[in-house]
Amino acid sequence: MLYRVIDASELPSLVSAFLETYEVIAPVKSGMSHAYSTVESFEEIALDYTTTITPLKKLFLPVRETLLTFDTETNDVTEYSEPVVPRVVFGAHACDINALNSLDLVFRDGPYPDPYYTARRNATLIVGISCMPTDTCFCHLWGSDEARFGYDLFLQDIGGKYLVSISSVEAANILEAACSPREATDEERAEFRHVTRRRQEAFNKEIPDIQEVAMLMDAFHSDPFWEELGARCLSCTACASACPTCYCFDIRDVRTPDGKHGSRERVWDCCTNPQFAVVAGGHNFRPDGRNRVRHRMYHKLNGFLATHDRMLCVGCGRCVRACKANINPIEVLKFFERKGADDAE
Amino acid sequence: MPNNVAASAIEVHPFHDAGSPMTGAERMAANPYRPWPARITSITELTATEKLFEFRLVDECIRNAFRHEPGQFVELSIFGVGEAPISISSSPSKSGFIELCVRRAGRFTEALHKMQCGDIVGIRGPFGRGFPFEKMRGHDILLVAGGLGIAPLRSLINNIHDERSDFGKVTIIYGSKTPQEVMFRNQFEMWRHRKDFDLYLTVDHADETWDGEEGLVTKPFEHLEINPDTTFGALCGPPVMYRFVVQEMRKKGISYDHIYMSFERHMKCGMGKCGHCQIGHQYCCIDGPVFNYWEAKNIQGSM
Amino acid sequence: MSNLEFERERPAAPRVVVVGLASCFGCQLQITNAEPYLLDVLGQIDLRYWQLASSDPMPEEFDVAVIEGAATTAEDIETLKAVRKKASAVIAVGACATTAGIPGMAAGNVEAGAAAVYGEAGAPEACGELIDPAPISAYIDVDFEVLCCPIDTFAFIDVLQRAIYGSNRLPQTATLCGECKHNDRGCFFGRGVLCLGLVTRCGCGARCTSLGRPCNGCAGLSPDANVAAARAVCAESGVSVTAFDEALQMFNYVNPALSEASEE
Repeated sequence: MLYRVIDASELPSLVSAFLETYEVIAPVKSGMSHAYSTVESFEEIALDYTTTITPLKKLFLPVRETLLTFDTETNDVTEYSEPVVPRVVFGAHACDINALNSLDLVFRDGPYPDPYYTARRNATLIVGISCMPTDTCFCHLWGSDEARFGYDLFLQDIGGKYLVSISSVEAANILEAACSPREATDEERAEFRHVTRRRQEAFNKEIPDIQEVAMLMDAFHSDPFWEELGARCLSCTACASACPTCYCFDIRDVRTPDGKHGSRERVWDCCTNPQFAVVAGGHNFRPDGRNRVRHRMYHKLNGFLATHDRMLCVGCGRCVRACKANINPIEVLKFFERKGADDAE
Repeated sequence: MPNNVAASAIEVHPFHDAGSPMTGAERMAANPYRPWPARITSITELTATEKLFEFRLVDECIRNAFRHEPGQFVELSIFGVGEAPISISSSPSKSGFIELCVRRAGRFTEALHKMQCGDIVGIRGPFGRGFPFEKMRGHDILLVAGGLGIAPLRSLINNIHDERSDFGKVTIIYGSKTPQEVMFRNQFEMWRHRKDFDLYLTVDHADETWDGEEGLVTKPFEHLEINPDTTFGALCGPPVMYRFVVQEMRKKGISYDHIYMSFERHMKCGMGKCGHCQIGHQYCCIDGPVFNYWEAKNIQGSM
Repeated sequence: MSNLEFERERPAAPRVVVVGLASCFGCQLQITNAEPYLLDVLGQIDLRYWQLASSDPMPEEFDVAVIEGAATTAEDIETLKAVRKKASAVIAVGACATTAGIPGMAAGNVEAGAAAVYGEAGAPEACGELIDPAPISAYIDVDFEVLCCPIDTFAFIDVLQRAIYGSNRLPQTATLCGECKHNDRGCFFGRGVLCLGLVTRCGCGARCTSLGRPCNGCAGLSPDANVAAARAVCAESGVSVTAFDEALQMFNYVNPALSEASEE
């Protein structure tokens, strides 16, 4: 990877350069937390944010989007077009970039490339920025604390300066035009190592590191633990709304008020939604909290790994805050940790 | 990696002009969410709640590009009402039309049942992994269907029938709740008459009109003779049926990976994305709906 | 794409009646608030009866019944049963019809309430024979529901169309927090503020919380609500469990699930 150093004081001109040709989306203060939002200037951006309430996926898989429009008289689709604006996401954390990389596997690189996701993804530059873990971060457990690909620029804070990994020509051109990127000195390279070490040491050590979690998810699939966890589920689906890798959706038809036309819409859905696994005739393949919560965790911590060789959890900790019932991967890890301890007694 | 980010648009075109430079397959792949108009060309009432619909894709290019395997499904649209996954009942050996056997079980199928010949619906697909027809060729086949499970199996049965000389002994066990719920009865009678297949039609509750067996779909296994080394099993039915039928097939000595079953889940998108049809780590829509027993055993929550 | 050869007569527009029971009539007003689309909507139906718009009597035959309000009198029950016999689809509209809503809070105290208002003689005859208020589903099968107090105009149009044309969409019973997160909102419980979204049915788009106001539960308790878990959330978040229980009563007073949950 090509990398250069820029001063922190050069960031405003980098953002200004992006603003000339792109819509810029960045973390901004929202109530007591932060949210990704369109900005007009560098000053609006809260680069020292910890995390956002909802993840980046909303930019590529909107909460609600039109797939096609139709005419109910002819029962066929009608002409539909929606512009895709070139955008820059400025200030994405490594976990969120890794989450996008997982979504890419499903929506862009897998069978049946999704034209809607792909159009939005291809029109978006990603500028990542380094961060320090909070109490609820466990990205390091799944190797998501570092973004190896999936961005155009990545800014590693090395104290008043940034070590910039440069991945795409388009971003390189803008960086060179807006800033004065220079070769890193030995001192700066050493500082890079210092900050990454400080980050690695800063993770909450109370979150158990259980690397064999996928096998354990199979081994303890029938454990009463899932009953206990499922019984707490509020069936609210906040987990999936907050999760950067939850991509399940529903497809529904909505008519115009005159009933003659309509649109087929894709809306976010979630496997903890009670109706999620209902089939025609009414049978529900996952009728209770136990089955639903277990399935969600299983897909995160085992299923996706089996089919895509990556955890479908990036350890961002959003669900730890979003789930008021305290159902999250940390609880699952703690359960497996206790399991070992009990057996040892 | 996006290298040249440029303004673009998400576009859905009806593509009504036959002069489109793209092939049918390319047009279908360009937006796999787009259903293609299909005309209902025939409706046969099978039972009080089931009808067999025959559809013909309106656009010739699309019609010619549509090729399916037995066991695959399509997404059927009635715009404004919604979309539903329905397994294909017709044989791949006959092209140009698509047959779907549909039970009236909810508001979508109710709307479909109200439609008439000549009406237009939308069809996209086919989707999923069907029965391994080429692997099965040259073997004995044991098919077990319960209720509406006959719908996807009929595609396989008809396909085998069209290439009958390529197969050894073919046994079909088809269980229904009552004689009134037996579907494709004429077709079965014809096959029985011509001795094409060894047929066992069973009903859970017989009445005076029934001269076949009474009992569960597993009952014919009591006197069934098969050669496990040369036999492929294929089954489809209500969720409760699988465990018992698989047990019987295993007792007869059929290998784990020679028993194929089609699972029912709600395949909303059909393309391994929406998540509704997930079974354990698999998507019923792209990894299935047909799995062999070995695969099924390795999927949490499959049976 | 000519369909001419198969052209045939259009089916007659479904005949619709709108019935109002005990309510503030606000939900019926919300229907009229569809103003620019009202004619579009009316174009799809044959509106046979609407108290709010005309004093004509209820017709003998119809297909779809839209019912607003809670059942609060013996006469209401008779009306509901008569309507159900004729209608192929019944749509309950608004909190009063779906949960008994505000009228529901009179349950168990109807006579005393009437005495407080009308004096010792009780309610005048014109009020009818008062009973404990109940959602209409307590007396008849309901096919569709339009939730909330008041209803959303477009939610009503959407449900009416689903009743007329059919739809494969299932009624959703997830609770509100997932939709609230769609709006990028933080949680009231993080600030120690009570919000009923934890147990209230989704579908409204969480518009109150998106305007900075906690959910008051007007969509009603979800059949899949986990009241016990929600109480635990309150306790952990420094929110009074008693306040939570009391707040739930406004729109769920007669919901048996609530009394069962408090006995646990």
